[in-house]
Amino acid sequence: MNKKWIRLTAIVAEREIRQRGRSRAFAVSTIVLLLVVAAGVAIPAILAHNAKPQRVGIVGAPVAAMTEVVREAGRITGTSVTVVRQPSLAAGEAALRSGDLDVMLVSDSEVVVKQVSVTGSSGSDGGLPTAIADVAGLSKLLGHLPPGAAARGVSLPVRGLSPPSASLSRRLTGLFTVVLVWVLISAYGSQIAMGVGEEKQNRIVEVILASVRPIQLLVGKVTGIGVLALAQAALMVAVFLGLGAAVGSSLAHGAAPGIVIVGAVFLVLGYAFYCTAFAAAGSLVSRQSDVGTVILPVQIPLIVAYALSYTVIYANSASLFYKVLGFFPPTAPVAMPVLYAAGDVPAWQAAVSAVLVAVGTVWMARTAATIYGRSILRTGSRVRLRQVLARGAAA
Amino acid sequence: MTAASTAASPEVASREVSLELIGLSRRFGSVVALDGLTFSVPPGEVFGFLGPNGAGKTTAMRAIFGVVALEAGQVRWQGQPVTEQVRRRFGYMPEERGLYPSMQILEQLEYLGRLHDMMATAARGAARHWIERLGLAGRESAKLEALSHGNQQRVQLAAALMHDPELLVLDEPFAGLDPGGVDDMTEILAERARAGVTVLFSSHQLDLVEHICEAVAIIHRGRVVAQGAVSDLERGDRPRLAVRVAGDQAGGWARQLDPGVASVEQVNSGLVLLALAPGADSQKVLDAARAAGAVEHFSFASRRLSEVFRDVTGEEA
Repeated sequence: MNKKWIRLTAIVAEREIRQRGRSRAFAVSTIVLLLVVAAGVAIPAILAHNAKPQRVGIVGAPVAAMTEVVREAGRITGTSVTVVRQPSLAAGEAALRSGDLDVMLVSDSEVVVKQVSVTGSSGSDGGLPTAIADVAGLSKLLGHLPPGAAARGVSLPVRGLSPPSASLSRRLTGLFTVVLVWVLISAYGSQIAMGVGEEKQNRIVEVILASVRPIQLLVGKVTGIGVLALAQAALMVAVFLGLGAAVGSSLAHGAAPGIVIVGAVFLVLGYAFYCTAFAAAGSLVSRQSDVGTVILPVQIPLIVAYALSYTVIYANSASLFYKVLGFFPPTAPVAMPVLYAAGDVPAWQAAVSAVLVAVGTVWMARTAATIYGRSILRTGSRVRLRQVLARGAAA
Repeated sequence: MTAASTAASPEVASREVSLELIGLSRRFGSVVALDGLTFSVPPGEVFGFLGPNGAGKTTAMRAIFGVVALEAGQVRWQGQPVTEQVRRRFGYMPEERGLYPSMQILEQLEYLGRLHDMMATAARGAARHWIERLGLAGRESAKLEALSHGNQQRVQLAAALMHDPELLVLDEPFAGLDPGGVDDMTEILAERARAGVTVLFSSHQLDLVEHICEAVAIIHRGRVVAQGAVSDLERGDRPRLAVRVAGDQAGGWARQLDPGVASVEQVNSGLVLLALAPGADSQKVLDAARAAGAVEHFSFASRRLSEVFRDVTGEEA
């Protein structure tokens, strides 16, 4: 790989960036994606301000003081609250489980919710339980307290009825990330395959390959398109975080940047893993219109991981099967950001998965380059994979 | 046949031979495309590459550019095996024309120039030059697909000429051109050859080849069946005479000729076509004709290239 090799490859990449970057399709898709992101961030934030009244149960005494505490907490968090007296702790817990109550304040000892989020205060519930706990704790401290209560802290403990899980906001950030990874890899992957198909159909490959090697054309093409994909992704992430911070959306708080970073790493790895495969698929057909059929098998792992990601996002914990997908290079780029966002795997496991994908990428690039090099100049009927791979180096 | 004898010897000085194809072999499945194809092209000449469909012309041209792998044989340029580096100094117009349909022609030519090691500014300058030279001025920012078929052909030629190649290889450059396009193409090929460029092109239009080329190679089933200067091929290995004697419509006088001097090939309303025996004196034929009557016509007859082609390949071009 000398300087000239890189220079020619860069010229190929530059053409891709120029031609595609100023195309109407690129401008339109960028705008649409940014609008989707903006809507995804802004709409929940707007809805949160018009959240339905929260039903807060109170158990024990004194009723007047406790009602006052709940009202104050509602005022602080901008949530309208309805106070409902509960005859007993057990009755209140049952009402929480059934969804009849959202939060319950138990005299001056604790706050109970159905489920506590892992990240604590950043729940989509607008932080009402925490606020109740804070206000109640404060009034307890200031008033009629048993001695030593202050030692347990200013806030009352918040107890969940079921085990804690990742907050909804964390999951939504995960969903955003996985949609981004999926959309960009599929969209740009198809562009690569279509581009290769176009060059083959128009026979311009013959003119180009008279002066550069197939591998240079391949690398230049996937690099150029990859630069555009990354630029678009970076814009979307910037809008997500920027707009999220501006409207105070809970989506952009706490753990979100970490999830977005993991998503970005897997986006790059996923693109690297798949780009050459899409190019190889595109090189098998002689007409651009046949590209769709050959890229479907390439997309299947992505489709599976993406479809199943909803079960992880909305369930309490991921299945073992999905965890395996998180470490399998073809599915990991989509599955691992989901698992990480849902709090089902620690960061180090995400790192292990990233290394596995990187290793898989090297293998894929070699195989795909071989297929591409051997089939790019073959016209006529569709080139069969077995034919290309079976033959020796004398292609 | 002048060039034939020097073709296969690699030690020939690079001055006389620029491009050499030596023993090229390639089969596709059971089809033999190239079967030890060997010929060479002198520098600064327009060289025609002829053969019936499926003779292996396109495969041979692709082999020069390394876009088809060879089972055996070697392509040499100025006495050295062709490398990637050398190949970027060649210009190629493939049979199946190929450019990006939705790319502007100036940008497209610039891009192809840069892939041939040109700097961006030089490539832009060359693109503008050829666009103008080929009568496309004002269409610089037109997309290729917006141009007429003939103009797309011109852009394709410009793509091959962009980097001022030392060798131009054109596969059927005249196919699909209107008469004006043929004239432009002819002029440019001749001009390039005068500038020292070696020009190799294939064609089915033998009248055109006769007119443009100094030398040709005719191939059939992957091997060379005839090659040399066009004038030599047309004269053939035995000189022929065309003679007409007044009043003798059947050409009866010629039947009396000694077979050691000449033999009749055909008689066409009094015009007798004779093949001169090796070493025989054409004046003896003239003497015999004079003895028979007033000689109205006496000349050496040459065969058309199309006849040569039919003879060596058994097919029409």
